[in-house]
Amino acid sequence: MTDTLRTDAPAESLTAPARSLWRQIEPAALGMGSIVLLLVIWEALPHLMTLGAGTKMYFTTPSRVGATLWNMMVTGTLWEPLGVSAAGFGIGLLLSIAVGLPLGVLLGRSRTLNAMFDPFITAFNATPRLVFLPLLMLWFGLGVWSKVVIVFIGALFPILINTYEGVRNADRLLINVVRSFGASEWDVARLVVVPNALPYIIAGLRLAIGRAVLGVVVAEFFGAEQGLGVVMVQAASRYQVDVVFAGLVVFAVLSLIMTGLVRLLEDRLSRWRPQRLGE
Amino acid sequence: MAQNVAQDTATDDAPHQSFAARHRNLLLGLTSVVLFFAAWQAVFLVVPFNKLFISKPDLIAAGLFDLIRSGALFRDLAVSAVPFFYGLVAATVVGVALGVVMGWRTRVGWALDPLMTVFYASPLVALSPLIVIFLGVGLAAKTLIIFFLSVFPFVFNAYAGVRAVDPLLINVVRSLGGREIDLYLKVIVPSVLPYVVAGARIAVGRALIGVLVGEFFAASEGIGYAIARFGDLFALDKMFACIIVIMVIAVALTEGIRWAERAAFPWRAGQ
Amino acid sequence: MQAYIQGRNVNLTFRPPNRGPVRALSNFDIDIGEGEFLSIVGPSGCGKSTFLNVLLGLIKPDSGDIRMGGKPIAGPGGDRAMVFQEFGLLPWRTVQANVELGLELKGMAADARRKVSQPLIEMIGLAGFESHFPHELSGGMKQRVGLARALATDPNVLLMDEPFAALDAQTRDLMQVELLRVWQEAKKTVLFVTHQIDEAIYLSDRVMVMTKRPGRAKKIFPIALPRPRDYEMRVTPEFNELKLEIWNELKDEITV
Repeated sequence: MTDTLRTDAPAESLTAPARSLWRQIEPAALGMGSIVLLLVIWEALPHLMTLGAGTKMYFTTPSRVGATLWNMMVTGTLWEPLGVSAAGFGIGLLLSIAVGLPLGVLLGRSRTLNAMFDPFITAFNATPRLVFLPLLMLWFGLGVWSKVVIVFIGALFPILINTYEGVRNADRLLINVVRSFGASEWDVARLVVVPNALPYIIAGLRLAIGRAVLGVVVAEFFGAEQGLGVVMVQAASRYQVDVVFAGLVVFAVLSLIMTGLVRLLEDRLSRWRPQRLGE
Repeated sequence: MAQNVAQDTATDDAPHQSFAARHRNLLLGLTSVVLFFAAWQAVFLVVPFNKLFISKPDLIAAGLFDLIRSGALFRDLAVSAVPFFYGLVAATVVGVALGVVMGWRTRVGWALDPLMTVFYASPLVALSPLIVIFLGVGLAAKTLIIFFLSVFPFVFNAYAGVRAVDPLLINVVRSLGGREIDLYLKVIVPSVLPYVVAGARIAVGRALIGVLVGEFFAASEGIGYAIARFGDLFALDKMFACIIVIMVIAVALTEGIRWAERAAFPWRAGQ
Repeated sequence: MQAYIQGRNVNLTFRPPNRGPVRALSNFDIDIGEGEFLSIVGPSGCGKSTFLNVLLGLIKPDSGDIRMGGKPIAGPGGDRAMVFQEFGLLPWRTVQANVELGLELKGMAADARRKVSQPLIEMIGLAGFESHFPHELSGGMKQRVGLARALATDPNVLLMDEPFAALDAQTRDLMQVELLRVWQEAKKTVLFVTHQIDEAIYLSDRVMVMTKRPGRAKKIFPIALPRPRDYEMRVTPEFNELKLEIWNELKDEITV
């Protein structure tokens, strides 16, 4: 494809295979390279310049973060709070699937119901869930339920909206085709509606996971007694910056792994599509 | 699909739909909202009402009027709005610039994309305690938090927008004698603009989270702080009132941008 | 004597939700003989596709009588199958799974289905593409899959709704030849809806011209050209005369 806009793009060339191998891995190499470079600079910074006494208190390096993280893993101080966070995450996510999936199907099939629910969905989807946290704390205290509700609200909407979209845009033509061969309503759902909706639902799940992780972190920062987020907040107040970063790394890595797995699932299920569904 | 109607000899009738039929969805939506509040109010006719635990629409409305009348609501909103706008504007400028550079110079895009993805996936909210400790409680910390939370939608969307510019259109304008400036004004900006506005829609939501995070952490004013304070005071009516105000603002901003997108860029069906 | 497919006084009015009612068919009569190839030409919106759907059993008319083999049509059944203009292949299924769709709905087991679908796939010239997905196929290939799918359930009647309209001219010509070949072998009754008069004459035993909406049978032209029909017939004087006659009948119905 001719690329007249980006004049610096690697031109098509007919040179030896060694060249094309580099071109294949170049994007990944550059990507990894920049991350590595960033880490290296960060690590080297205290050696390259003298930091003021104030800054030194908050400054940490990747190696210190890594060491702290390792320490936390080995001594077990990571696993317990992580477990609490994971429980809140898991329960909230499962609830959001349990509610979002059937509700999405229902709204997809009934225009009336959809119109009636729409204002509430729009309102809750646009609103930052954090706004409900003080209220939830009044109701549930600092236990696990405030967390679960925040996770639930965050994860519900991608699943609900995507399921609804997937069900609603089942191709009318395909439904007629299948009916013309004598399909019952159940067959129609099985043969057309569900396969059509599946990629949307999985994409919704991928979005929901990201939101759910964010929900756990945010809920634990302000409204919980236990959990990795709580550990991070407490560490921050004690200037244990490397612990904060260690926690951040854990959350980020877990989030990336989970969404990565879902993306793999998505790709497997989408072999019949010309291209993947967007964000 | 065919209805059993008596045979008529007329040809097609002129379309005549009642007001109700044409605005069906809107009316259904309004009806369900009204029903919801009515039910909320009415449920306390049978269920005992504990004002320390929950509130009712009439009390909430009264609380809201109170806050408006005393000026407290607008004061708090004004305080929250300042870092919101500063942070969002900074995020727009930096994010779009970065995204455009990434899209324009391919290798820069390759290099930074994974980095940006990692940042986007990390709960950067987690850094807010550090930011507050570093910068202290105040405008700077709040602005920075909002900036970090809302910059990435702009980066990614601008990036995608530049990459999506149709090379064919560039050729068309060039073939008609267009100069560089024409390319920018007639092709690139109109192509990228819808993506940036869509990014703004997402960024606004995240900026609102930033406002609340900043204010929950350690603030003495602002709408988020007000909610927390009313919670501490068990003034549930005013607390609900503030929550509803934020919901309305959030919806107004998001739907407003969505509406502007549809009006300004009707050729963009999805996203 | 009753025709194999017979429609009398068929009336149908659509009532879409946000617009006025639309009268699709009005006192529509039709007779189709068994094993016959009948084409319907008519202006856009005249109801010809609607009638196909009525015959298929997906829509019930407001009034009128439609029978096939003497029995009224109650709903979709294995004796009729449709080939759709936009192909209508399930995009998440392979070519083979698409061809076997009707058989699957009949409850046939996998190997039995394979025995039917495999020769059909070969017949339409797509051997080797069994595991491809529709988005990997060209328009002509997709339509051939649609044809094979319709034939797989061995229906008595093939209903074809402008099946070649979405194809380019050259593919279209080739598909017409293919269709005739398949029809000679399979000996089905075919009801073929099209805009193109050439196509109608080339393929059919008879051509019916429909009026504009609300649709009614205007005139029927027997096509006396010998079979098997080859491409050269399209440029003979007899062909062109027929074309002109049919066009004259049709042009009054068309408003631009």
